[in-house]
Amino acid sequence: MADDLVVDPGTLRDQVRDKYREVAVDPHRSFHFHTGRPLAARLEYEQAAVDALPDRAVESFAGVGNPFSLRRIQPGERVVDVGSGAGFDSFIAAGQAGPSGRVVGVDMTPEMLQKSRETADALGFAQVEFREGLAEQLPVDGDWADVVISNGVINLCADKKAVFEEIHRVLKPGGWLQFADIANGRPVPPEALRDIDLWTG
Amino acid sequence: MLEDTGFVEVQVGPAADTFGGASGEDKARAYEVYGYAFLARKLA
Repeated sequence: MADDLVVDPGTLRDQVRDKYREVAVDPHRSFHFHTGRPLAARLEYEQAAVDALPDRAVESFAGVGNPFSLRRIQPGERVVDVGSGAGFDSFIAAGQAGPSGRVVGVDMTPEMLQKSRETADALGFAQVEFREGLAEQLPVDGDWADVVISNGVINLCADKKAVFEEIHRVLKPGGWLQFADIANGRPVPPEALRDIDLWTG
Repeated sequence: MLEDTGFVEVQVGPAADTFGGASGEDKARAYEVYGYAFLARKLA
């Protein structure tokens, strides 16, 4: 583990994978965060776009903000969704990018990948693809993406600098990073930062 | 950190009360945790 990291990346990754496996397979149980359509409404996603999606595309949504609130995806753009989960933001992006666009969702949790792939097939979204991978090692060519989106994922990565460097690698020059994440207004004590259980709930 | 990585034109949207009403609200309130949208651009 690098000296400047407060938790072990692999251990944190295992805990995150366990937590989001639950969100994939049992989305209606109680978590410490909101999920699904109520969360999408709270975060002011476009109602019509959410209504157009089937429940299985929305029920495991567990983002923390709206990555489309400061900029819409433009028709034809290539998008990478870092930590795509069950695919909700990827499907919103696909709707904005249209059939000439392309969306690659990347996630490390097998249950999320299975769910997102099945939903993409059910929706007939041929421009959407989900790949297994890590935020720090995206399975995407350099300078490929017009846009990288992410929602509530980077805060769960131990090495945020590595994630931003990887996002920078896959973006074309002039490409956009539009993501949502949490930030704290009061400092978190060092002992709490080292408590890996607090990172996921 | 975004600018250190080579991003420019960084914008931050308004705070969203992501955890309000959820069981994690108490912890979120303790450290004033909110959700934000961020927008930045890779230098052309």
